[in-house]
Amino acid sequence: MSFTILLWLSIAVFLLGIILRFSTWFSQSIDPNDVKGEKTSGKKIPLGRRLAKGVSGTFGVVCSTKIIKVIQSFFIDIILQKRILDKSIYRWLTHAFIFFGFLVLLLSHAFGNFTFSLFGSEYVSTLNPSLTLRNVFGLLALIGVGMAVYRRITIKKQRFTSYPSDWTALVLIAVIMVSGFLLEGSKISSYSIYESMTYDYGMLEGEEAKALEAYWVAENGLHSPNVDTPVPPDLLETGRQANEWSSCIQCHAGNTNAFVSFSIAKAIGPMAAAIGDAGVVTFFRFVHIIACLGLLAWLPFSKMFHIISAPLSLAINRVMGKESDDPVNALNRQLIGLTACTHCGACTVECSSQMFYESFDNEFILPSKKVQYLKKIAAGKEVDPRTRKRLQQGLYICTSCDRCTDICPSGINLRDLFINSRYYLLNTGAVETSMLSHFSFPLSLLHTYVPKHAHALHKVQNLFEKTFTSLPGISGPLTLSKKQEFDSLRGNTTFKSCYSCQRCTNICPVVRRYETPAEALDMMPHQIIFSLGIGNQDMALGARMIWKCSTCYLCQEHCPNGVELTDIFYRLKNKAINAIEAKEKK
Amino acid sequence: MKYAFFQGCNIPARIEQYATATTAVLATFDIELVDVRAFTCCGYPVKNVDEKAAILPSARNLAVAEKEGLDIIVICNCCYASLMKAQNVLTSNTELVEEINTILAKEGLQYTGKVEVHHYLDVLYSEIGVEALSAKMKYTVKDLDIAVIQGCHVLRPREITRFDNSFVPRITDALVNATGAKNLEWQGKLECCGAALAGINDQLSHDLLNEKIEGAKKAGAQYITPICAYCHLQFDTTQPNIAVQPGDVLPVLLYPQLLGLCLDIDEQHLGLEMNTTIQAEQVENLKSTLVTPEELTKKKKRGTKAKQPA
Repeated sequence: MSFTILLWLSIAVFLLGIILRFSTWFSQSIDPNDVKGEKTSGKKIPLGRRLAKGVSGTFGVVCSTKIIKVIQSFFIDIILQKRILDKSIYRWLTHAFIFFGFLVLLLSHAFGNFTFSLFGSEYVSTLNPSLTLRNVFGLLALIGVGMAVYRRITIKKQRFTSYPSDWTALVLIAVIMVSGFLLEGSKISSYSIYESMTYDYGMLEGEEAKALEAYWVAENGLHSPNVDTPVPPDLLETGRQANEWSSCIQCHAGNTNAFVSFSIAKAIGPMAAAIGDAGVVTFFRFVHIIACLGLLAWLPFSKMFHIISAPLSLAINRVMGKESDDPVNALNRQLIGLTACTHCGACTVECSSQMFYESFDNEFILPSKKVQYLKKIAAGKEVDPRTRKRLQQGLYICTSCDRCTDICPSGINLRDLFINSRYYLLNTGAVETSMLSHFSFPLSLLHTYVPKHAHALHKVQNLFEKTFTSLPGISGPLTLSKKQEFDSLRGNTTFKSCYSCQRCTNICPVVRRYETPAEALDMMPHQIIFSLGIGNQDMALGARMIWKCSTCYLCQEHCPNGVELTDIFYRLKNKAINAIEAKEKK
Repeated sequence: MKYAFFQGCNIPARIEQYATATTAVLATFDIELVDVRAFTCCGYPVKNVDEKAAILPSARNLAVAEKEGLDIIVICNCCYASLMKAQNVLTSNTELVEEINTILAKEGLQYTGKVEVHHYLDVLYSEIGVEALSAKMKYTVKDLDIAVIQGCHVLRPREITRFDNSFVPRITDALVNATGAKNLEWQGKLECCGAALAGINDQLSHDLLNEKIEGAKKAGAQYITPICAYCHLQFDTTQPNIAVQPGDVLPVLLYPQLLGLCLDIDEQHLGLEMNTTIQAEQVENLKSTLVTPEELTKKKKRGTKAKQPA
């Protein structure tokens, strides 16, 4: 297959991919208001409306003073990459080396003819500045890849693991750069290329031709079977003059300018000659072209798509901040964000909840892992219930510190994405017991999705009522049990010291709130301690009191006999949740 | 003196002014607060679900401070209690220390327990002292009635927090009195703001909050001064969210903001306008209550003179 066919094929795949990705921006979503299956029917926003809102929103920005922010974003976020710089100089250098290395090569080498014509000159790959530029920027990109690999290996200790796709991207860039150097190196050393060049352009014969060849061996990295090194100085001088007379110099700056490839030529010359240098050149050219076209075709389907979506996401972020005023465009923004994730791990490394990952053994607690999986949810792919439940827990065990959103180098509004996803899953999925934690506090502050929150909470409460029998639900006589379950209270046996003074109940600010506390709470604090005293822990677990405890510690502080009521309540709560989770697993 | 500044999750995201005001106030007394990015959540939010899971993050944060070679200063009461609780549990449970250190070792951290945890009020009270505080004040406030809500988890359980007398706390009172503000005695002062129930039982949480708002208003409070970050958010965010009449709210004034005004600290550090419940005119009124010591003595004299004829 010729180069042209391959080129057009990869361009076609690239364009198709781009169209597909663009269409997901306006068709996919994770929208809590679009919940199917429950009592409410989902109201999916049609693609036309999403697209129209997206266009009008963009238009609104372009035609207002907000365009200044977009321009700011272009220079500060995209060219300067300040968000990466704020995080770490190492990461900034890594990205800048790859970004600028690649960009300069793309413009000055791949699109060399076009770029040079803009400056009114001609692209000659073997003359300076091209010869040097290629090597400088190729090397920079390679150093960048090396730094990225090192980071991805060492970041493991911070709970972040890379995916095969992360390595693929780095390997592909590295292959492009290395094969480019090898191609240039093999061409420099190749005798068959030298021969065809002198055949086409050379006018020299005899001694002069020999001197020229010797000169190219000594100075330009050629590997010739005819020349012995070191070349004598007088022959070298004759060769140098021949190089000038015969106008080689007009198209060939010294190959030492290609400092990387020149060294490679020196190193691989003899080997290439032994294998057959023309074949070696063809092979490296093939690898280089395939890798370049492969990257082009793969780009829209991979995280490399961020080169298109991340600048957009960053500009949106600069214009709108963390708030999105239009709900339809908020969904568009959400999907642009999802495609802008580079799986760099910045969010996970700084995540406030990262230590909960160690305790819960649920990697969905880490934001980068969540984002990757949410792409599947947005695309409406089937997810098995177990994974879905873990994702839901991962989404809920979040302190809403917004750090991930503040530091995301792609400017993704992770805060909104995660909140939307939480309520989307909560309203379609399983019961979430971690709703009963203080992770619910920031959600209550937000004051959004209030009915949805209440609905999901209600599901948890129902499950509790089904699982445990509360005191009012018991009809027969209470049983006394000899064997008390101390261990499940992790050794807190202070309830044994209770001498029934009821000070705890009398001082409780929650009990005080109700006219008939026994009805509202099932059991009052002292009764819970009594029930533990008679070895009936189940009754305590079913009491609504433990979930209405404000954890103010007044009871515990005022207990004259050192019963650690609030701490015992915490343990009962933990135990009740464990019991429910265990039941759910069955 | 340097401390590792433990801000927790709520303060950087929602109450930045608490951090900047505290930093500025302490800087006046040559105390530097170092921002440590490696700190994470203290573990408090997970307590209802898994108490043990709440210990590990605190232990890690203590280990991070240990690596930095700094003691910790905390603003949020719940963060304070979590760190103190972790320390308390880990002093007696060597098995757990080992288990935790195995996890921490992965990122080159180790918990040995040598870091001290201080509440910022304790630093003001014990390390700087009320006298030194007063000496630096350019102004005191006059005719300003505030209701302090102490927050539960800095006082109780006393064996863990070891902060102040949990029944008759004196630290906060002494600090507030030094500013000249009238520190009201009211019933809700040592009680719960309802934050721990927010999102779990909103109705009850709001009831507890409203009870405090009414109580403080009834006592004649012009401002409520919450110590804990959670209390602050209840009064400054939830209060306007649930107010029956929009705008009819008891404004929040944080202690370092009040102290900062007396110390004549640049207002941009104090961030008064960042309290959602405080209006621009209230900020002006607040500033008009500031008097220099000379003015105060003059006013007193005038006051006594005026009384004489009667």
